[in-house]
Amino acid sequence: MPPTSSQLLLSPAELSYLHSSLSLTPPIRPDGRTTTQFRPLVAESGIIPSANGSARVCFSDGTEAIAGVKAEVEKSQWRPGSTEQSLQVDEDGGDDEAGQAGTQGTGENSWISMSIEVPGFRDDDALPVFLSAMLTEALLADGKLKDRLWINRRFHWKLYIDILLLSAPLSYPLPLLSLTTHLALLSARLPKLKSEGDEDPLFDDDWEASTYLYPRDTKGACLDRPPITLLVIAVGPNFVFDPSKEELAVAEAVIALSAGTSDASTLNKNLRLLSIRTIDPPSRLTPLGIPDALSSAATGSAPLPPDEQLAAREGTDEHGVWNPPRGGMKRAVLAQIIKAVIEPGGVAQEVMDGLMHVEV
Amino acid sequence: MPISILPPAPAPSISYGADPSDSDDDFDLDGDIDMEGTSRGLKRPRTSQRHIVTPGELVTDDTQWMRGHGAYHPPDSTAIHSSVFGTILKTNKLLSIIPLRARYTPEIGDLVIGRIIEVQQRRWKVEVAAPLLASLPLSGINLPGGALRRRTAVDELNIRNFFTEGDLLVAEVQSVYESGQATLHTRSTKYGKLRNGFFMSVSGAGGGGLARKGGIARSRRQVFTLSTGRGGGDIDVILGVNGFIWIAKHVKPKMEEGPNRLEESVSMDVYSSQNNDIGVETRREIARVAGVIRALVEGGRRVDEEMVVKAYEVSLEMEEGMDVEGGDFLGGEKGRRVVEAVMSG
Amino acid sequence: MPLDTSSYSLALLRLDGRRWNELRRIHAQISTQAAVDGSSYLEMGNTKIICTVTGPAEGRRVGGGGSGGEATIQVEISVAGFSGVDRKKSGRGDRRIFELSYTIEQAVQTTLHTQNYSGSTISINLHVLTQDGSLLAALINAATLALIDAGVPMSDYLCACTAGSTTNTASSKGAPRPQAALPGLSSLDEEADDPLLDLNGLEEQELPFLTVGTLGASEKVVVCIMETRVQATRLEEMLAVGVDGCKRVRSIMDSVVRDHGKRMVDEG
Repeated sequence: MPPTSSQLLLSPAELSYLHSSLSLTPPIRPDGRTTTQFRPLVAESGIIPSANGSARVCFSDGTEAIAGVKAEVEKSQWRPGSTEQSLQVDEDGGDDEAGQAGTQGTGENSWISMSIEVPGFRDDDALPVFLSAMLTEALLADGKLKDRLWINRRFHWKLYIDILLLSAPLSYPLPLLSLTTHLALLSARLPKLKSEGDEDPLFDDDWEASTYLYPRDTKGACLDRPPITLLVIAVGPNFVFDPSKEELAVAEAVIALSAGTSDASTLNKNLRLLSIRTIDPPSRLTPLGIPDALSSAATGSAPLPPDEQLAAREGTDEHGVWNPPRGGMKRAVLAQIIKAVIEPGGVAQEVMDGLMHVEV
Repeated sequence: MPISILPPAPAPSISYGADPSDSDDDFDLDGDIDMEGTSRGLKRPRTSQRHIVTPGELVTDDTQWMRGHGAYHPPDSTAIHSSVFGTILKTNKLLSIIPLRARYTPEIGDLVIGRIIEVQQRRWKVEVAAPLLASLPLSGINLPGGALRRRTAVDELNIRNFFTEGDLLVAEVQSVYESGQATLHTRSTKYGKLRNGFFMSVSGAGGGGLARKGGIARSRRQVFTLSTGRGGGDIDVILGVNGFIWIAKHVKPKMEEGPNRLEESVSMDVYSSQNNDIGVETRREIARVAGVIRALVEGGRRVDEEMVVKAYEVSLEMEEGMDVEGGDFLGGEKGRRVVEAVMSG
Repeated sequence: MPLDTSSYSLALLRLDGRRWNELRRIHAQISTQAAVDGSSYLEMGNTKIICTVTGPAEGRRVGGGGSGGEATIQVEISVAGFSGVDRKKSGRGDRRIFELSYTIEQAVQTTLHTQNYSGSTISINLHVLTQDGSLLAALINAATLALIDAGVPMSDYLCACTAGSTTNTASSKGAPRPQAALPGLSSLDEEADDPLLDLNGLEEQELPFLTVGTLGASEKVVVCIMETRVQATRLEEMLAVGVDGCKRVRSIMDSVVRDHGKRMVDEG
């Protein structure tokens, strides 16, 4: 299970207040947002001219991330059994995709490589490794991206996605990194191929002739879009999107959901659920709050030894005292979350549409 | 639209290579001294708004000035140079430079909110957003059972039951070491452990730019009570000078009379971590106050009692006028409108 | 050869159109990130750096602070994989990065007044977005701006830039020339041997250069690093050109800082 990021330190009284506010119906968030309301964010793309695609996203809590996409030509390794599948002639009549008609082969998962830099963490620490695994999984899930990297039987594009997190992660940085990657991929372009067949690839020097990695039609509208990953927390029967770090600290369950487009022709209809991952909620590691009845500071007597204290504590269940949550989340809540994300006009659609306006 | 994605703010246009000496050169230090001496007998410091100095810049050669914070003498020289980027402050013969943006530096008498980071044998280490952790000794807190009670060994064993790691408290700075480390105390009923509410910190790092852009001003009324609309009841707001803020439901403290009327006795639940019952309306209003403060900070305005109360009332009025489509969230566009209304009204 | 010697001596223009003593375009901003104590963004030509400073702050662990009476400075540099023309991922153990961060740590130590905050730590994080020459110089300048933004007291600006020379070792006057016997090489005597200011990526690959950092507008040199070989007689003029360039860099950085301050005071 992916680990949580560095702990936010809160007192038992604060934890209890936040948890009880979020458990109400409807839940009251500490900044007054609705359950599906995101904090305003700043986004721009194309900031690194020497990369194929790039983007920068800042959340309103000050965290910032920059992603760059670079593509390099690599020699393909011949795999037995792959020659039958390659050279599928794939011409969609009626679709006016610029420069995409022609032969296509199948791609390999290894052609996409992602690396995430988190300040304060080494490259082989758990957090960057899990983050990059989750994001890559979502990218490869629909299978179409890697196919677009095929050039001919001898060469292919190797896509390198480098993501820099510019501030120390206090709340789980997954949604920030996912939105930044989405925007960088959306704006990424590959140079136009001039050579034919299986000869050494030769490309057009004119960058204006380059094609988008995620194809667009002649009017510039996106025909396909990269996936996004959203973070959702559940508290009791409620679920909340874009949690702030205080909300994360009291969540009973934390879910990372990846949603992507299904088919080019059904872009405006339902999105697909690509993956769900649970993340260890940090609330489990918080210490128990002590109710007044058991407080030995008030009476001035010596404190009980730890095991007796725990036993005494187990018996009480008073309001206003913090109890780290136990157990998982209810299936009904999970079903509601999935529905809220991928239904038409749902949260994922809103986020993707918002990001598209940045790029176009 | 549950998500609003904004384009980045354009980079400010800077006039490069402008002669830095033309705007603030040759300001008359001596002239200012005369005015202060004769017209006002007070020692009130005057900040020169327009005299911005940058690190390494020569402030004055005049040997009559003593150097305060933010200024230094280069080796082999009696001239005073600035070591930070800020504005000049003249207090009688003391010349100091207040940085425009810096970590909070504790001063004696400051009311601060802190979080316990470490528990040691006879004291706690408290995070107050200063360069060094502040220290709260066991002798600096009120013990239940009387203010003059002696600290016993049992109290040392119980130390975690008073304050443990993560607890929030409001305290006063008792003294400051030369290194900048502060010593706190909570020896009054208005200080102590905080509960029944919500914590927030200003400007991310917590406390940059005290009385300047988006900071907490050192005023006399840093703790105040708002009576809220919409059935929220009374809400306490504590604005710590270090940029930490506490917003909570107002709960009447249980005052026990000690044997001597003059003695303030500390009730049993001063160190309680158990919240009282807090109603839905109160929680909503706490969220609203938090949003109002955040909007003031993002708009670069001072945060003090007057501004918070005004902004809160403005946000209530605006709520009446328009529909509640965006919920109660006061970030972004809505927050900006509230701040504009406060500044104009 | 990026610096085509024949065309240079004719028009005295470098490949990007600059003369020998012209700096590239410098663009800088401070306070670019709200969540940290100090931050800056610097562009020197096409080299783009983001710097964030946290501190002075005390580490959570006891004993992680300064060694007896001074604040500790930690510098971390991360070079993005997309920063060069080819994608290159450099791990943390890269020697070059370690040398850069050590140099910056030592340099910053000389200017900061660390005795004010004994026991605390100042962490400087530098991110390289694109590189096109003058990497160390840009890192030092960006770090200075971010430290000023964080309000850490210092003696003066720490400014740096690069200086190079158009001559190469084999053809400078006075050097022993083993190839004197070969025909056609005597014409190399006539080439121009100007020192150059602020080299870009292509020039750095081909020509000898050094990075020099000074304390403010004084001529006190704090950093001087050269990794290529050059004739000893050329060194002095390169250093002079570099120090002069640093003075100009300082005035540019100063106007950025003042401008920001003026805006803050006007609004607040």
